[in-house]
Amino acid sequence: MNINATLLAQAVVMIVFVAICWRYIYPPILSVMQEREKKISDGLEAAKKADDSLEEAKLAFDKELNQAKSEAAEILEKANTRASQIVGDASKKAESEAEKIMASASTAIENETNKAKEELREQMSDIIIDTTQKILGDEISKEKHEAILKKAAEEL
Amino acid sequence: MAKELTTESYIQHHLTNLTCGKTPDGWTCDPYKVDQMGFWAFHVDSLFWSIALGALFIFVFKMAIPKTSDSNSAPTGAQNFVEMCIEFVEDNVQSLFGSIKNTLIAPLALTVFVWILLMNLMDLVPVDFLPVLAGHLAYLFAGESVEWINSPESFYFKVVPTTDPNITLGMAFAVFILTIYYSITVKGVKAFIAELTLHPFGKWLIPVNFVLEMVNFIAKPISLGLRLFGNLYAGEMIFILIALMLFFSSIPIGILGFGLHLVWALFHILIVALQAFIFMALTIAYLSMAHETEEH
Repeated sequence: MNINATLLAQAVVMIVFVAICWRYIYPPILSVMQEREKKISDGLEAAKKADDSLEEAKLAFDKELNQAKSEAAEILEKANTRASQIVGDASKKAESEAEKIMASASTAIENETNKAKEELREQMSDIIIDTTQKILGDEISKEKHEAILKKAAEEL
Repeated sequence: MAKELTTESYIQHHLTNLTCGKTPDGWTCDPYKVDQMGFWAFHVDSLFWSIALGALFIFVFKMAIPKTSDSNSAPTGAQNFVEMCIEFVEDNVQSLFGSIKNTLIAPLALTVFVWILLMNLMDLVPVDFLPVLAGHLAYLFAGESVEWINSPESFYFKVVPTTDPNITLGMAFAVFILTIYYSITVKGVKAFIAELTLHPFGKWLIPVNFVLEMVNFIAKPISLGLRLFGNLYAGEMIFILIALMLFFSSIPIGILGFGLHLVWALFHILIVALQAFIFMALTIAYLSMAHETEEH
């Protein structure tokens, strides 16, 4: 257990090992660690940002959705109103049309009836005259009793 | 000439280094000529384990560096362990060294910590394993050609480098040199000398100041080295004594020895890690003192 040159040798060995560690071992490991640390903190930050933007996107999405919903409801209401209006208009129009048609139809019917009556009256007078001529012979002619016939036809 | 195995010779065997040095007859590792070697002798076993474990540290940490420097993939296996060590060291350097920028401190602290930890861990290898193995190997391969290896027991082989004061004081000495280097480069020669001479009594008592400060200055590396040595030497000693219980006493005491060995080994793990940490922390602290310029 003497103190001898081992001491100096060990001091030299230690300096050599420290130098190797200082030069070749420590810096590469430390740089890898620092690089990874940076990458992780960057990653965390990015994740936080992504989270935030997701939140924002969600809010925007909700807002848009609500707006779209309200717009849709508005459009629907308008459409309903419009539809009922159209239906109302159409039914009014149809009614008036129907009335018109009815009116014209009844006019036509009246006309037809009048016409038929007229014809009937004329034929009647002819028949009457014919019959009367047959009965009375030629005593009575159409020409002579024109006035009387006309009067009778009017009375019919 | 195989010696008789006695308690004393057993302990002595475990506490003797394989020493090689220069004698008047030339270089030799003969344990009986250690007295003739003087200062220029080397504890080959301590240095072997110290260098081997240092190389292991460098190798493991070198392997752990990812080949492609992509930080995309998650670290695995050895890289995790290495990064854990580095983070631990970085934390300690941060807290002890503060904001002073010095790129050497953290690698120095890492090397010191892991290396001393590995050297201390050799203490947990059962005390007779490696010495006996080395003795038999030496006897097998060099027993005939080398005169002084005349039995496996004549080949000394101490396994734990940190139980050799040369090793611990050598490391403390390296730290001491670094302390002086940084004191001079950071503070300047003038401020450094002033620090050693103008405290605590002012400029009229420079010799007294110098003696006091010198004691303070030199006590740091010595206490740094001896603290590690003392703790590990005592731990090793207790392992040896417990091992003695197995060989030199009755069976019940031998069985008790097994239990004690386990308990002491578990407890020693704490000392192993703690002493490595203390050495590292003090290394950082001394170097940070070398950077401080303010008066104290």
